[in-house]
Amino acid sequence: MKQSLRIKRGTDEDTLYYVYEVDLPSGSSVLDALEFIRTGTAPDLMYRHSCHHGSCGTCAVRINGKEVLACLTKLEDFAGTVPTIEPLAAFKHDKDLVVEPGSLFRRLPKDAIKIRISEWIGGEINRDPAGEANQARPGGIEHFVRFEDCIECGACISACPVTRQSWAEESLTASPFMGPAVLAAIHRESINNSERRQEMLELAKLPNGVAACEKHFDCSRVCPRMVAPGKHIEQLRKEIL
Amino acid sequence: MDYFDVVVIGGGGTGAATAYDLSLRGLSVLLVERGELTSGTTGRHHGQLHSGARYALGDAHIAQECMAETRILRRIASDSIEYNQGLFLAIDDEGEALTADFISACREADIPAMEIPVQRALELERRINPKTKRAVLVPDGTIDAYRLAMRFFASAAARGAVVRNFTEVIDIETSQGEVQGVRVHQLRTGTDLRYACRAVVNAAGPWADKVAALAGQDVPVTPAAGTMVAVEGRLTNMVVSRLRRPGDGDIIVPQRRLSIIGSTQRKVSDPDGLRPLPEEISFLLSSADELIPDFSKQPFRSAWTAARPLAGRSNEEGREISRDILVIDHGKTGQLKGFFTILGGKATTLRIMGELVSDQVAQYLGNDEPCRTALFDLYPYDYYWRLS
Repeated sequence: MKQSLRIKRGTDEDTLYYVYEVDLPSGSSVLDALEFIRTGTAPDLMYRHSCHHGSCGTCAVRINGKEVLACLTKLEDFAGTVPTIEPLAAFKHDKDLVVEPGSLFRRLPKDAIKIRISEWIGGEINRDPAGEANQARPGGIEHFVRFEDCIECGACISACPVTRQSWAEESLTASPFMGPAVLAAIHRESINNSERRQEMLELAKLPNGVAACEKHFDCSRVCPRMVAPGKHIEQLRKEIL
Repeated sequence: MDYFDVVVIGGGGTGAATAYDLSLRGLSVLLVERGELTSGTTGRHHGQLHSGARYALGDAHIAQECMAETRILRRIASDSIEYNQGLFLAIDDEGEALTADFISACREADIPAMEIPVQRALELERRINPKTKRAVLVPDGTIDAYRLAMRFFASAAARGAVVRNFTEVIDIETSQGEVQGVRVHQLRTGTDLRYACRAVVNAAGPWADKVAALAGQDVPVTPAAGTMVAVEGRLTNMVVSRLRRPGDGDIIVPQRRLSIIGSTQRKVSDPDGLRPLPEEISFLLSSADELIPDFSKQPFRSAWTAARPLAGRSNEEGREISRDILVIDHGKTGQLKGFFTILGGKATTLRIMGELVSDQVAQYLGNDEPCRTALFDLYPYDYYWRLS
């Protein structure tokens, strides 16, 4: 299957859009296409990737302006068109499709618990539909655990109209909106770690916390992992009243 | 020209653990990776924390090593592990007949395997094959191989190691049979740089032969492509494996809200640009259905192929080559002093791989500090960015 892609290349000072054609079997992802281009005509193409199955969160990009994980986006969704692939907004741009992810990681609640008790214990916003059979807890097992849903991909930060503007102007704004992923993490930590609940709610109360959210809900729309940051923010809003 | 005691080539789990280990011994370390960190083999993980049970019948040494490393990782990286244990299921006569030998081989390797009644297994995991004949509980788990590796990078950076992604080594400079430095190409700027160093660790995994060639060295590596398929939905909490002699498509690893079946193995000549074959995907899905009926009816999420760095050369099918760890001191082979290659292994054994090669590098540099990577909690992965 042949497909053309328009890719933003270079740095902020020196940007050019290049069109590449790839030839890949049906079922291939946009990330497969980037790999095809890098191992072929453009060995210097820079993009972030690691797991290729939507659990690391490194390969988030914007395709035709919408935030997606390149590894979970099928190439044939764009058959007959030439989609434009760009790096995430809001983040500091590095080069080509790479942004500097540190501005998200540095804002996340420090030393938060990265693992949670499995769904049926509570605190769940979007239940796993496949987990219906698992809702009952087996006898003799205190609980199973699993990693937090959020993979810190930055899609919500790029999609949120508030962070998109204020993170980009970071040097001008004293304390820009924390952003959806950060507030979702604060809410999760308030559930996972009862000792830090009050501390987390205090963070959410800051002027650049929940109060700075303008309820656009683009965060929940683009989230590739059902975290629904918008719902977490709404829950925090109720809890800090 | 900047100087480092050691330059580590390769930003996967092995390179990360090596950079951390050497830094803890007080050596100055530069790690370079041509792409993003963990964009090679490490990232494309199945995500199994191996208790070693899978290897117990075939290779007692690897099994023991996995169990020892599982115990250490649970101590130093506890919240990088979904530690829900694993079930080995005998679903045919072959598996049923093998169960007793399997359990004694596990115990031999210090793996606390325990047979449980099938009824109990079905209570623990309701979606497994109800025709299961025997079930064995082992201390397997799920790791996020990306975030586990990032914890080693964070810990290395905290000890002063310098980590450079999108930086490709283009030459290894030598003089009179000794390593002198490296020349690197920076993708960001398109410019080249030189670094002086006394030792180089080649941790390039399936690309190790290409890196070694830059130093005129030969490294026997066989890239073996392994395909995995992820479907939406957390079908179990425990890792579910098929009790039989290790083969293709016999392990299902749950992670977050997804389930991953793996893997396959085929030898390839080029570890770059690997993609799954359609027949591998359909084979894996039908194999998964034997362990967890209707696995293949879950929404398809992703299929991907990793290049395993098997140490050695073989004309046989890939799985015949050992997953054992190999350290090559190219000085001892009389070729090039200060050049070391670390090969083989798996995600679970990243720390010990770092230890084994660092022992030799430290000795070469006259540093007699012991390995300390098993002693301390690793930094959380987000510290990699917080510290930079």
